[in-house]
Parts: sequence; structure tokens; C-alpha cells
Amino acid sequence: MATTSATRAPLVPPDARTRLTRRRRTGAGRISPTFYWMVIPAVVLFFVLHTVPVLTGMFFSMTNYAGYGSWDFTWFDNYVNLFKDDQVIKAYLFTFGFALVATVAVNVISLAVALGLNAKIKFQTGMRGIFFIPNILSILIVGYVFNYLFSNSLPEIAERLGITALSSSILANPDLAWVGIVILAVWQAAAFNIIIYLAGLQTIPGEVYEAASLDGAGPVRKFSSITFPLIAAFFTINMVLSLKNFLQVFDHIVALTDGGPGTSTQSVSLLIYRGGFQGGEYAYQTANAVIFLLVIVAISLFQLRVLQRRESSPS
Amino acid sequence: MHQDNPQPRRRRRRLTKGAATISLAALMMAAVAGCSTDSDQVTLNFFQFKPEAVADFDRLIAGFEAENPGITVVQNHQPEADTALRTLLVKDKVPDVMTLNANGTFGELTEAGIFADMSANPALATVADASIKIVTDLGQFGDEISGVPFALAASSIIYNKTIFAEHDVEVPQTWDELIAAADTFQAAGITAFYGTLKEQWPVMPAFNNLGAALLPENFFDDLRAEGTDVDADSAVSFSADYREAAEKITKLFSYNQKGAASRDYNAGNKAFADGEAAMYLQGTFAIAPILANNPDLDLGTFPYPASNDPAENVLVTGVDVVLAAGRDTPHRAEVDKFIAYLMRPEHVAAYGEAQSTFSPLVDAEPSTNPYLAGLNDFVAQGRITGYIDHQIPASIPLQPLAQQLVLDGDTDAFLTDLDNEWRKVAARSTKR
Amino acid sequence: MTTTLSPEPAQVAAPATTPAPRRTVRRRARTDEDGRQINWWITALLMVCSLTILIPLYFTVVTALKTPDQLGGTGFELPTSIHLQNFADAWNLTNFPRALMNTALITVGAVLLTLATNSMVAYAIARNMHRKFFKGIYFYLVSAIFVPFPIIMLPVVKQTALMGLDNQAGLILLYTVFGLSTNTLFFVAFIRSIPVELEEAALLDGATTWTVFRKVIFPLMSPMLATVGILTCVWAWNDFILPLVVLSDPSAQTLPLANYVFQGQFNTNYTAAFASYLMAMAPLLIVYLFAQRWVISGVMRGSIK
Repeated sequence: MATTSATRAPLVPPDARTRLTRRRRTGAGRISPTFYWMVIPAVVLFFVLHTVPVLTGMFFSMTNYAGYGSWDFTWFDNYVNLFKDDQVIKAYLFTFGFALVATVAVNVISLAVALGLNAKIKFQTGMRGIFFIPNILSILIVGYVFNYLFSNSLPEIAERLGITALSSSILANPDLAWVGIVILAVWQAAAFNIIIYLAGLQTIPGEVYEAASLDGAGPVRKFSSITFPLIAAFFTINMVLSLKNFLQVFDHIVALTDGGPGTSTQSVSLLIYRGGFQGGEYAYQTANAVIFLLVIVAISLFQLRVLQRRESSPS
Repeated sequence: MHQDNPQPRRRRRRLTKGAATISLAALMMAAVAGCSTDSDQVTLNFFQFKPEAVADFDRLIAGFEAENPGITVVQNHQPEADTALRTLLVKDKVPDVMTLNANGTFGELTEAGIFADMSANPALATVADASIKIVTDLGQFGDEISGVPFALAASSIIYNKTIFAEHDVEVPQTWDELIAAADTFQAAGITAFYGTLKEQWPVMPAFNNLGAALLPENFFDDLRAEGTDVDADSAVSFSADYREAAEKITKLFSYNQKGAASRDYNAGNKAFADGEAAMYLQGTFAIAPILANNPDLDLGTFPYPASNDPAENVLVTGVDVVLAAGRDTPHRAEVDKFIAYLMRPEHVAAYGEAQSTFSPLVDAEPSTNPYLAGLNDFVAQGRITGYIDHQIPASIPLQPLAQQLVLDGDTDAFLTDLDNEWRKVAARSTKR
Repeated sequence: MTTTLSPEPAQVAAPATTPAPRRTVRRRARTDEDGRQINWWITALLMVCSLTILIPLYFTVVTALKTPDQLGGTGFELPTSIHLQNFADAWNLTNFPRALMNTALITVGAVLLTLATNSMVAYAIARNMHRKFFKGIYFYLVSAIFVPFPIIMLPVVKQTALMGLDNQAGLILLYTVFGLSTNTLFFVAFIRSIPVELEEAALLDGATTWTVFRKVIFPLMSPMLATVGILTCVWAWNDFILPLVVLSDPSAQTLPLANYVFQGQFNTNYTAAFASYLMAMAPLLIVYLFAQRWVISGVMRGSIK
């Protein structure tokens, strides 16, 4: 039931799965070796290019390697020093604060726009097309455009309107620069999330709403007791992936503030890149990366648990 | 999406034993690398750190290639040269030949044995010992000399002579005169110092000049000896010894134009060229890009009057461009040829003219560059000193901190941060 | 690198969502969705919202057409005269043809290699999920979704250089391999919805597993291939951090990288810079303009799987 995806329906006769299962159960245990040849080269490559770097990273995080030249084991010194390094802690705080705000903002805005696009409106296809545009543009390049807007145009407009608070660039203000980064991040990321929510909304059969209307439910009640629960899975996945993506924020910052003013917008990714290469502390920043990995895995698991529990509990 | 995918409950336990054998065939792709195309043409990978000098070096390269048809030089310029170079080092792709700023990073890399020894390079014999000493003081690999100084720069205050004349302001000799001049301009509605605080490094010239003049002697040696004990109460510290300089930096930047925090170096060069400010706290390397925006600008330079005793004024100088070669370059002969070509007196002089730098050559004529006239005496009298930021490890985020200082004026936080960073980095590098 | 690589995992907990009890579903005259009234308020509101997307694009276009001395003011004014020289300047200064070629080569290579290999891996996994080995590989690949790129950035830089992969070919391989995690998730979910009968019939006719994949499954996968192709294309075309750290040779620069270098070198030449931005955005924008419906339905399909 509830398979409203038009593309899928014809492909899956309702009883295909049971038949498949039956056959598997009764079928012989033969397996074509071709299947192994299909996965093994790719898995080896994946191991070499993805897992090995993770492992070498962990290895070097216990040394004082600069990325070149000789090195010695320092064991857990890097980790101990990380926890004493307020630059690192500051970068984590900034990154989490930014990711949290951006995740909430993106999901609220995307869901609202998706609800609008899903309503009976004029120019639906055209507007859907427009809202998706940011997703196909390079963050770095859009960031340069926003940089100019924030640094030159907005102050000029604010000046003319007499809003003195905004008459200097927000990117130059250590307390406000993060807002500019959030705006760019939301602008760019909303595009994709809108489409995902829209896809989710279209899986809800119209009959459900009609039933609710007949029962006298208003729009708010319809949203909270029908729409939202039915797209909860989409909400979960958007929240988890948005947060994970925003925690890695890099391009946005390179284009807008370069981590400044001061170090007020230095994200963990930028710190790893800058410190690891420019600062010549390759091993130290690798240790930072290992911690970052643990933190992200922990957060993602936590988020999945919480959101899935909420999803399945009656609302 | 709510369709459940029932998985067969009973799973086949049997696993083909051989499946565990991992095929390494995919790794062969890696072997495709490393094959170099052998031909008579030698290509030198030339890493060039200075964005404003890309065109100058293109011209020099063209001349060199015309003389040496067998050699092609590819200039590689990237933003954030230090980061880009370190990335190349991590990749074990040290460029064949490079121009670098002789700074702390250069010293660190030298000590790590990245660069080729230049002691025997004939070009080095034409360079004044004082300039070579600046390079070797940054760090040495054994007793090698790892770079050939190509251009010297000084850090000074650049001023607009026309604006000074209009307001009858003389070139300041003391700190009080400097502030009085700034007040005069401000009262007349003219920006005293043009600020470019969108980027972090433009605070560095002031940081270096005021620090060089006001820090006690051997400050950094003492600080290194103090190591992990540096804090506000230790014998030497930024908190105790850099305070006056930090306060004076804050004072100077308080005269910046409105919106300085959203202007970058290039915008500053253009604005100063357009006569939008009386003074500009930048190194002599900024003169060329300023004049590129307005060749008719009547500008001059004077050393920072850091204190009220004119006799104590010194000029901060450094090797702005040093030529170095990768230790393991397979084209050492060609690299030496290229360096010798660049170091010909006429080329050094032309570069100095174009970029307003001083010549490091032993028999160089005193600079006839009118823009440097205010500094020539100091060079001639040897009243020069080095950049203090070269003494500060690259892993200390000095530039962001300095930018923060002038943006929020919080001297205490700045000094405490510097002490903290020094202590932390000392702790991290004890085993290196 | 952040948002482009975010295809949606398919098997998020699918809660048992029961539609409202059947008895309430009564057929009315206006069940048909199209029977609803057009909501003009929402239409108007969304049109205003879409300005936030269009205004920066408008700004980019007008700025790219101005002369430097028209730059003052808010910047939103129309150019008083069209200055196409900016495009010529940007073309030369960023070495646009070379950067475009590199980007196109990397993108096309990454898309083709991804589609060809990742679908194959997923097919083998999907049809053997009941075997421990394949199930293990499935979870091994998919769990890597949680490893953010910064973690492996420093080692990858060193390793790709060591293996001679610090070039365009290396990037193609990296996009293919790093995309494997999410793409496996996509493809496996899709393949498991394809009935196995077709394959079995082909196998009985004497076809090999390899032929079955190529001739039977691969064509059936085209909707999901489109989805993955679009996402890979957008990712590879716009990615900045991988080219930044992986590529060693300046002649291999991609469009975002060329703009980054340009920014460092000529960043007061705003008009040429904006022309350069526009030229970097244009190819994908133009393709999107024509394939818009197809792109969006492809992405939506991917998310429902």
C-alpha cells in the first residue's frame, strides 16, 4: 500500500516479492562467480581510496608527522593537546552552532516551500524548476556573488534606507558574519531539500485529506496529524543529512569570510585544511579529524534514534 | 517507500571460500602513474608565490625560454601560497624551482631539508652577505644556504604627498607627530589610514614595525627559552612586553575609514591610488599595485615613528622574494641556469623598479626609485631590523588574532591569546 | 562538497503509516486533485520567495555586463551600456577553455564510470543480500556515508599523489569511489524492486550473469541511473575541495578552482570576475533549462526509493 510513486508501481507486481522469496528458499545455493567479480574490484578500490586513508589518518594522528620529512610516535599527545586547544574548541563550537541553525532553517524553509508547491498553484512546474536552481550552482562561485552583495550592495541599500545597523558589511562583523554564511548555506541547500519534501508530500494520497476535511480538521491540524507524520521519514533523513553536510562546511566559508573576521567563522573543516597544510601540523590536525569523525558518527546515530522514535510514536 | 523488503529469513551460510581472496588488480591503476615522458624538452615547474608579480615573471620566463630553447618554465601561482606549497610537500611534489617569501615557514621548511643547497651557486656570490644572513637566520639545514635572495622589501608607511602638502603636514618623525598628523587629516574629513581589514594579513606590517621597535632585545629567544611556561606572569610574555605595541596598533587602525572591515588589499590599493586616504600602512610591495591603478600618484614612504625618540626609528626589512630549488629536482642544471638568469643584475634591477623593492646584490646602486627615497638613508646607515612575525611559528593563528585586535580593540584578549597559543604550540612541538 | 552529495538513503525506517480508516474514504465529486481551486495567495507568496533565487542571478548578469565605473550604487541598476569585454577578459584570465575542458572531462568521466560500475556493484549486492559476504559489503559501503570528507582529506592528498592520481583521472576515480556509498544504497533499493523472473528466464536461455546484467537489468535501471547521473554530475561539476587539494598541476584546474585562483589574483576586477562566475555557471544552467522537468523528477524519484 501507499506506494504512490508512479514509476514504481508497474515494476512491482504485488506478489513478486513473495515469489522471489519462495524461489530463493527452494533454490540451490549456487552463485555465479560473476557476482564476486562485480563487487570485488570496486570494494578493493573503495578500501584503498577510502578506508586506507581513514586508517593512515588514525595512524599518523599518533605521531608528530608534518606531512613530509621524518616523524616519531607521540602516541596520544596530539589528542591531549587538542582538548587543551581553545582554537579547536572554538572551531567546534562555531561549526555546531552554525550547523544547528542552518539545519533547522533549511528544513523549516524547505518544508514550507514544499507545502506551497504541493498546493494547487499556478506555474507549479516553473516555480519548482526555479527553486531547484541553487542546487546546480557551485557554492564557491555563488559564495563570491553573495560576498559582493554582502560587502557592497547591502550596506549601500541599508545606508539609503537609514538602517545604520546594517550599513557596514555583516561579513566584517565578528558577531554577524556567521549569519551571512547561514544565508548562503540555506539558499543553496534548500533547493535539494524542497524537492525531497515535495517528493514526500506527493506520496500522500489525496483521499486522506478529504477524510480529514470531512472530520472537520483545520489546516494546522491537518498538517500536524496527517502531513507531518506521513512525511516523517523524509524529515528524519533531511535532518540527519543536512546536519552532517553542514558540519563539514568549507566552500561557503572560503568564499565569504575565509574564517574571519579574526577566527570567528573558522569551521572544523577549514581548521583541518589550514592547520594541516599551512600550519604544518599534519599529524595534529589528523587527530582532530579522528575526533571529528567520532563526533559526527555519534551525533548521526543519536539523531536517527531520537527522530525515529518520534516518528514511530503516535503524535 | 513504505513497502517493506522482506529478506529471505533463511540465509545461505555457505560462502565461497575463494571469495575472500582480494584481487589486487585494481591497484594496477596506480602503476600507470610515475611514467614520465622522455623527450629533449625539460619542463621546470616554477612555483611563484606573488600574485602581483605573475606578469613580471612571465616576461622573465619568456626571455629565459628564448635563450634556452630546450627548457620550458611553467609558472604555478595559487592563492595562499604557503598552504599550496605545503600541500605540494605533503604530496612529495616539491616544485623544481620557486619564489618564496623568506618568512617563518621558509625557515621551517629549510630545516626540514626541503630545499637544495645553493652555497655553490655562482649567483649567490653576487648577493650581499647581510641579505644572505636574513635568509639563514630563519633556519638552516646543516650549514647549507637554501635560498638566493632576489628582492628586498621594507615595511613602512606609504603616504600621499599631495594630501600632506595640502594640509601642511610634515613627514612625522615621532609617534606624537604621527598621531597629530592623523588628527589633522581626520579633522579635515580625510581618512588618515586606509584600512583593508577584510583580509587578515594587512595588520601584519603594523604588527611587525611597532613590535620591532618596542619589544625588548632578544625577546623571542627569551620567549623560546620560556617555552611552555609563557603566561602573563613569566619573565617575558606578550602580555607584558607587547602591550605598548598592541595599544599603538589599535590606535592607528582607529583612524581607518568607515567600512574598512569590508575592504581587501586590492580594494585598498585602488582607493589609496585614487587619493582616498593620506596614509597606508603597507609594505613597499604595495607601491607597484598602487601605481598600477594610478601611475600619476605622488606617493612617498617613511619608516614608522614608533616612539617619541626619532633616533630609535628603525626600518623593518626582509627578503621579500627568495629563489629556492627542490632538493630532489631531476633538473638541477636547468634550475641553476634559470636562477642565474633571474639573478642577472639587469633583471634584479628591473624587477626592483617594477615592484618597488631593493636589490640584494652586493654592488647594487642605491635605489633611484623616488618612491623609496624616504627609506634609502635607513638602508645606507644600516638602521634596519627583521620582521618579527618570522619568529612566530606558523601554527599560531597570528594573523586572525591581529585582525581581531584591530576590529574589537581588545588588547588584553589579544595578548593573552598570543601567550596561550605560544604555550600550546610549545607543548605540541617539544618532541619535534 | 557539502550538499551536493546527499542522495537520500532509501531504507530509513519506514513506519507503518496507515491512512485514515477506510470507512471515512468516501468518493465525492471532487476527488480529482485538479478539481481543487487554484490558490492564488500561495502562488503569489511563492513567486515572491522565488525572487530570492532570481535576484542573485540577475545581479550576477547585470554586474558582468557593466564597465567598472558603472559599479557604484547598490549594484542592482541596469547597465547603461553593455560591456562584453568583461567576458573576453575573464575568458583569457581564467584560461576558461582549459578549465571548461577539465571540468567537462572530469564530470563526464565521473558520471559514466559511476553509472557503469556502481550499478554493477549494487546489482551483485542486491541479488545476494541473503549471503553474508554481500550483506557485509553492503553495510561496509553504506556505513561510509557517515565519514565526512575532512576526515580523510589529509591522507587522501598524500595517497593520491603517491599513486599518481593527483590529476583529472584521479578525480574521476575518486568521485566514482566516494560516490559508491550513497549510490549503492540507491541502486540496491531500486534493483530489489525489479522482479527476478526476467533474469531467471534469461538465465534459463543460457545467458551469463554478466549478460543478464547488461542486457536485462541495466536497461531496466534507467530511471535510477538518471537520478544518480544527475547527482553525480552536479557534484563533480561544482566540487571545490577535492580539486583544490588533489590536483597538483595548474593546467588541470577545474572551473571552481580557476575562479578561486582568479579571485586571489584579480579580485578588484569585479566586472570581469562576475563575467567569469557567469561563464562557470552557464553550462550547467543551460542544460538544466532544457532538462528541468526530467532533472527534478529524477531527483524526486531517487528520494522516494
